[in-house]
Order: sequence, then structure tokens, then C-alpha cells
Amino acid sequence: MEFAATVVILTCTYALLAAGIVILYKAGRVVNFAHGELAIVGGYVFYSSGLMAGDESLWLAIAGALAFSIVMGLVIYMTMMRRLVGEPFYVAILVTVGLGIVLKSAILVIWRAERLTIDVGVAPALRLAGGASLSYMDIVSVLLTIAFFAGLYLFFRFTRLGVQFRGTAENALLASQRGVNVNFVLSLSWVIAIMAASLSGVLYGGRAFLSTESVTIGLAGLTAALVGGLDSLRGAVAGAFIVALAQYLTVRLISPVLSEAVPFLLLLVVMSIRPWGLFGTLEEFDRV
Amino acid sequence: MSRAGTNLRTSYLESNEVLHRPYQKVLMAIVLAVAVLLPAATSTYFVHLLDLCFLSAIGALGLMLLTGYCGQISLGHAAFLAVGAFTTVILTVHVRAPFLVVLPAAAVSGALLGFIVGLPSLRFRGVYLAISTLAMHYAIIYLATSYQANFGSSATAGITIPDPAIGPFVLAGDQAWYYFLFVLLILITAACINLTRTRPGRAWMAIRDRDIAAQALGVNLTYYKLLAFMASSALASLSGSLLAYYSNVVTVEKYTLDLAVIYVAMIIVGGMGSILGALLGAIFITLLPFAIDSLFGYLPRAWRFGSTLFGVQVGAVGTCIILFLLFEPKGLAEIWRRMEVYFDRWPFRYRPLETVRR
Repeated sequence: MEFAATVVILTCTYALLAAGIVILYKAGRVVNFAHGELAIVGGYVFYSSGLMAGDESLWLAIAGALAFSIVMGLVIYMTMMRRLVGEPFYVAILVTVGLGIVLKSAILVIWRAERLTIDVGVAPALRLAGGASLSYMDIVSVLLTIAFFAGLYLFFRFTRLGVQFRGTAENALLASQRGVNVNFVLSLSWVIAIMAASLSGVLYGGRAFLSTESVTIGLAGLTAALVGGLDSLRGAVAGAFIVALAQYLTVRLISPVLSEAVPFLLLLVVMSIRPWGLFGTLEEFDRV
Repeated sequence: MSRAGTNLRTSYLESNEVLHRPYQKVLMAIVLAVAVLLPAATSTYFVHLLDLCFLSAIGALGLMLLTGYCGQISLGHAAFLAVGAFTTVILTVHVRAPFLVVLPAAAVSGALLGFIVGLPSLRFRGVYLAISTLAMHYAIIYLATSYQANFGSSATAGITIPDPAIGPFVLAGDQAWYYFLFVLLILITAACINLTRTRPGRAWMAIRDRDIAAQALGVNLTYYKLLAFMASSALASLSGSLLAYYSNVVTVEKYTLDLAVIYVAMIIVGGMGSILGALLGAIFITLLPFAIDSLFGYLPRAWRFGSTLFGVQVGAVGTCIILFLLFEPKGLAEIWRRMEVYFDRWPFRYRPLETVRR
């Protein structure tokens, strides 16, 4: 039971990251290598803004993280990604790699890379059969993840902006000619992705800790997105589950040191068999 | 004698020359003379910095061949540096092999592993290839970590290696290393220039630009992609092995993903697709942290963030990547080419022809 609980919570963390990566890829065809760094910095911002008024305040923290997502998403898209239209694919990827390095340096400079744990009530609140105990934080994590994915689904399916999003994802040129503000949609995609990442960072900070080493969860999230299919949200969840399961089993049964490599080895296997991911669409641009 | 432009050759004889115009030959002679006389004129610290530049230049040349010329994105460069370092450790500690045997052995072991790492490139392109090289990086680092845990003198102190000796001469001290690395770098640069000027280079550039068309024209993709990976990893292993000898200690903690990204930064900043770019980028990125360090020294005492120096150094590399990609995508080499063209065309300002990449 404890096994199930840990895997479910790890899946939630990775699923949020993978969802952000999938959204960015679908909207702007850019693979974001800085997602882990965005998540962890979001976690740090959450922590610091919660302490801004002198007393620990959850609302200030949430507001701070939201503000960070919006500002960061706008800045990244407007100053960097928008200028890279038409360049070969690796340019955007390398810019995100550079961005990841800059964010990591921000952690070092602003927060002096202290290890932080976000403490939102870690006491065991629920004891399940089999010796597992879920804390208040864990339950909130799972509920928030479910709420986030439900919100995404409703947004893309039923709102006008969501439909514009899907249109831009399929063919940005046509969408812009039909009156969709593509710049707005793409900035929004970055904002949503960074919000998901920050949420994931906060949850990770609650369960583990935030530091410069934690940014590797971004790579695990990336592999989860790739395993599930880079343009499929349900693939993000499926991929996250598989990666979380594989990592947990490796740490328990084989060796903890190998846990960083496991997502990639898993990815190699999946890519050899089904390169476009489990739920991805077979597209004609160069991937294989 | 071509009057048509800096790098345009108008006969087959001319097209074989590396240095085409007289001013280029003069400039090269000056650079070589300065480089030879430099250790006598500057401090040991600066010579040490130049040694580090030369070492990373060898690795950067390897990555330039792979990513700049052949277009295969690789994030596994740090792993190959580790391969070279740990091959050195195994051969010196267990077998007591001499220096002149270890260096080629490191290059060969790098090439073998490069072959394995290059196999996914036959199936994947782009991001997926980058991710698979990342997977190989973690796998290799895991092996290196297990080795260090089992055979290291202590868990984190790493493994020490004695100074290398060629016959009766012991290679120790920054100055001796400077001349050794300088000669080695010249040889390796000449080899890389030759590789890029002849069939492999042309095949790689064809693969980079449009590999399906290259295959249709008869370029053997398998052979040339694997050749690119093997050449790149051989050079990286050589660099790693030399660095192991230079610093006399090997720890696996040094070979992080960040190191691979730093090498990618070198070739981006230098300018992808040019040997000169690899050298310029390596020097720029290697010296950047030290430049920031001395810059911090000039700030007034109240502003000295001693503890954040490392963070700023890290941030500077990332900022360089972003700024160069946004504003100068062809890197420092392109800045150099523009200067050449400017002086060549003076007093005209119109550039009638694209500068041909050398």
C-alpha cells in the first residue's frame, strides 16, 4: 500500500511536469529543457512569497507563484521564443537549455541554494491499510493534480480560448489568419506550462526538498512526456505513471544510484519500439 | 590570385590552400609567435588558464565535428571526458602503462564507446537523439561512479594519478604542459581542418543540411554518422585523459550534465560549423568564469558578493548561450568573418557575395 501511495504521488509530480512540456510542444513545437529549473524556481518563489509579509501566508505564496508564472511565461515567450520563429529546431531547444542554466544561477544567487522544504502540514493525516500513511500534503497534491488536469480538459474542450489553443497547435498560420492572436495563445501556453511546473515544484518541495540538485525532475518529466507521446496530454499522465513506477522499482529492487538513469533507459526502450510515444501521433517531421 | 573576396577561390590549386591571402599567413605567423613567447612574458597563473583553454579546445573540436559539421546533437560529451579520465586511471593504476600508451588507448576506448553511443543516431534525429545521448551519459557516469566507489582511495576524494613521463622527461608544471598542449592542439586542429576539407567533412555537412538528400546522393549515412561520433568521442576522451594527467586527480563528480552543456555552449558561442569557432568558443567559455572572478575583484568592497560568485559564473554561461543564439547565431567566428570582410571591402560597404564558410 505504501508502494502504491508513493508511486501515485510521484506520478502526480511527473504528470504535471509532463503536461507542461506537452502543452509547450503542442502549441509552439519547442521542447523545453528548462522545465525542471522552472519547477524548482517556482517552488522557491512560492516559499519566499509566503514569507514576504513576515508571517507564513498560504495566499501570498499562491499569489507569488501565480505572478511568477505569468511574468516568466510572458518574458520567455516575448523576448526569446518569438524571435526564434523560422530557425532550425535545435536553436529553441538550446535557448531553453541556456534558460535552465540562468534559472539555476538564480537559485544560487537569490536563494543561496539553500535546501528548502515546503511545510504545509506534513503530519500523517490518513493511515491506510498496509502501513502506508499519507500526509495532508500528499492528499492535497493528488487532489490538486486531478483538479489541474480536469481544468485543462475543460479549458481545451469547452472554452473559446481553448479551441483557439488547439487551432494554433495544429496550424498556427491558419489560426492567425482566422483571427486568433497567436502571440497571446503562445504566451498563455508558456504561462500555463510554468504554472503546472510551479505546482509540481511546490509539491516536490513539500515531499522532498528544493535545491539545485532537484532540477533533475525536469528531465524525468521530459522523458515521461516523450514516453507518453510529446503531443498527448493523456500520454503525459500515462508516461508519468510508467516512469514513476520504473523509478520506484529501481530504487527499491536494484540500486538508488541508477534511479537517475532509469527514465532515460526506459525511454530508449520505448523509442526503439514505438518512437512516437504511446499516445503520440505519427507526424511527418524529422524525429526518426 | 583571387580578387573576388576573402575566401573565394578561383582555381583548384587555390582551393587546396588553408591560408589563402597574404594577410592571413602573416596573421597566423604572428599568432603562433605570440603563443610561443607568451609563457615567458606572463604569469604562471595565466599560463595555467591557457592550459585549461587548450584542454577544453581539444574537447570542443570533437564536439564541433559532431554537432557543428554533422548536425547530430549530443549531450553526452561529459561522459566521454569521463571515459578518457577513467581509462587513464585504470591503465596507470592497475597496469602501470606509460603516458604515450595511455593517450592513444584513451582515444581508442573513447572511439569504441562513441560507436555505441552513435548507434541511436541511425534511428533518431533531433531531440530524440539528444535524449538518447543523455541516456548514454547517465549510463556511463553510473559505471564510472561504481568504479570510483569500489577502487577509489576514499568515496569522494577521487583517484590520484602521478605526473606523466615521456622517457626521461617528466611532464609537470604549467609551462611544460603549455608547450606540450600547444603542439598537440596544432596537430589536432590540422587534422580536424583536413577532415572537414575532404570527403568526411563534405559528407557530414551534407548530412547536417538534409540527410535524406545526402543519402540519395550516395553518402553512406551509417558510416559517416558513426565516424562523426567516433571522431568526436575519441577527441573528447583524449581531452579527458590529458586533463586527468594535468590535474593529477580524477573524480566522477566533475563530469556532470552541466559540463556537457558547457561544451555545447562553447560551440554555440564560437559558431557552429567552423574549426576557428571551436577554438574561439573554447577560449571564451573557459576564460569567462575567471574574467567574472577578476571583475568581482574590481567592485567596491560593499558590493562584493563573495558567496554568489559561483552562481553569477553559472548564470553568465547561460546568458551567453541565450544572447548568442538570439543575436549572433553564427557565433564569434562570424564576428571574425565580418571583420575580415569589412577590411577587405574597405572603402566599399556593400557586400556583393555571402562570405563562404571556411
